[in-house]
Amino acid sequence: MSAILDVVAIPADRPSIRWPVWTGGAVLACALLLALITPLLASEHAQFINLERRFVPPFEIGHWLGTDQLGRDLAMRLLLGLRWSFAAALCATLIAFSIGTLLGLLAARGQSWLAKAIRQVTALAQSFPVFVLAVSVVALVGNGFVAISAVLGLVSWPVFCRVVHAETASLLTREYVLAARMLQMSRVRLYCMHVLPGLVSSLSVLVPFHFADMLIAESALAFLGVGAPLGDATWGSMLQESRSYLWSAPSLMLLPAAAIVTLVIAANLLGDGLRRRLA
Amino acid sequence: MSNTVALCVRWLRDLALLAVVTTTLLFFLLRLAGDPAVVLAGPDASEEQLQSVRAEFGFDRSLLVQYGSYFRNLLTLDLGNSLADGTPALDKALIAFPASLLLAGLAMAITCLCAIPLGVWLGARPGGTRRAAVRWLLFALQGFPGFVVALVLVQVFAIELTWLPALGYGGPKTWILPALSVASFLMPKLARMVEANVSAALGSAYVRTARAIGASEFEILWRHALPNALLGATALVGAQLAFVVTGLVIIETMFAWPGIGWLLVQSTTNLDFPVVQAITLITVAAVFLINALTEILQHTLDPRLRRQPQSDGAASA
Repeated sequence: MSAILDVVAIPADRPSIRWPVWTGGAVLACALLLALITPLLASEHAQFINLERRFVPPFEIGHWLGTDQLGRDLAMRLLLGLRWSFAAALCATLIAFSIGTLLGLLAARGQSWLAKAIRQVTALAQSFPVFVLAVSVVALVGNGFVAISAVLGLVSWPVFCRVVHAETASLLTREYVLAARMLQMSRVRLYCMHVLPGLVSSLSVLVPFHFADMLIAESALAFLGVGAPLGDATWGSMLQESRSYLWSAPSLMLLPAAAIVTLVIAANLLGDGLRRRLA
Repeated sequence: MSNTVALCVRWLRDLALLAVVTTTLLFFLLRLAGDPAVVLAGPDASEEQLQSVRAEFGFDRSLLVQYGSYFRNLLTLDLGNSLADGTPALDKALIAFPASLLLAGLAMAITCLCAIPLGVWLGARPGGTRRAAVRWLLFALQGFPGFVVALVLVQVFAIELTWLPALGYGGPKTWILPALSVASFLMPKLARMVEANVSAALGSAYVRTARAIGASEFEILWRHALPNALLGATALVGAQLAFVVTGLVIIETMFAWPGIGWLLVQSTTNLDFPVVQAITLITVAAVFLINALTEILQHTLDPRLRRQPQSDGAASA
């Protein structure tokens, strides 16, 4: 999923620019803030069905983004969707990050059978259609927040493992690491002082990209009707419902779509900007 | 020659490993998820129905015995029957396969036809306002999930303009929108990669030599830089195949395209477990085989790869 990271080398003569990092970071920070204060903004009327006020167009008093096919306030539903998607993508990213980094560190440790097995699994997982697995697993273990974020995290960790493994393997051959080893530095201290700091830059690039991927995967699953509990407001399920009203109320489709695209582009900007500056 | 044999042996081993891991995972997940009889018979089945389901599928036996017989059946490619209509699950999945292959093929063709010229054009020179604009456009397009692209395409071409049908599978007219949607998954990535590779190749020594000998800019770009850039692109297409499969699942479901992606979502919502399993296996095997073919292709195209010894696993990735 993060092949951009490995393959697109940005020519060195291009001047490094700062605004992508700041813009992407600011949008993500605002989104996080909004997601955190959603409970304050969204009273119980977010899910309130009012059949007398269906399909209110945007910019009406009381419903500044309009209402949907059941008369629910679209702005509130978008906020609830933001909360859901942001949290699910973040948890999935954290799970993938933790497992992938740990296994990547282990895989870089030479010729033990464990390292070999991890390398083998990661190489295979690279070409594994994980989304198919996610669909079938979520269908099996059931809907809900824990299920969706756990499954997405558990199927996507090889991305992190691959990068951490490659970076660690190269770090372990550096002179300063060899010197530290010769000085009989303990393994824990060696990793904490010399290996982990060397991983920070590539990981901080990978995390935003992975977050964007998880966001897309989560909303895609919800769009297919897998993952989100029925009736809950998520961007994917809002898009799914909007399909019946594409002609009469295109804003039902355009608003969640714009929300997803904004967040994904913001995360990509952050990742891309960080890569240009750290690489 | 012995290299080729070793490669084939490695692939066979990997494929077997993948199949075993996938099926084992699915087998135990179905049991972890709760009583499979309840899953299979539905939430409001009576106790008698549950009993008959248990007897029919052998859920009353111990887990290891079940796993053994499941595995024996697997070796004879018997994946059980569809719970929806009783036809063999594998047949059901295989029947849906050609439609998916058609969609994937069309999408890949569109992707290559758009991305390669675009990437070469972008990579030929670094500067320029038009190129910068196209670069940002590609970057933005990468932020559009495939199903959002599909919704927008349907909105514009099927609903506002009524030029093309919004869903269905019959004749070239119905192919356009799904193929474009799946193509949107990979096109920006491929274009950006061809760009990077072309511009890297243009700075390399062999291009400088070609220029010194007196090759024209056109020749340099298309005969010297592009072939090298395409080698990397082949690798990307292989590595991103899983991504295309994701696209197939979503887009087929949206357009009611009777391929394996559509069947997968249908079967998961109906909890038709044998079919889900058959589809997962077929997809894994297909993706693996296409990746293996990509690898062969790369070895044929790139003499440098043939000279290097095979390294194992992640190191080469």
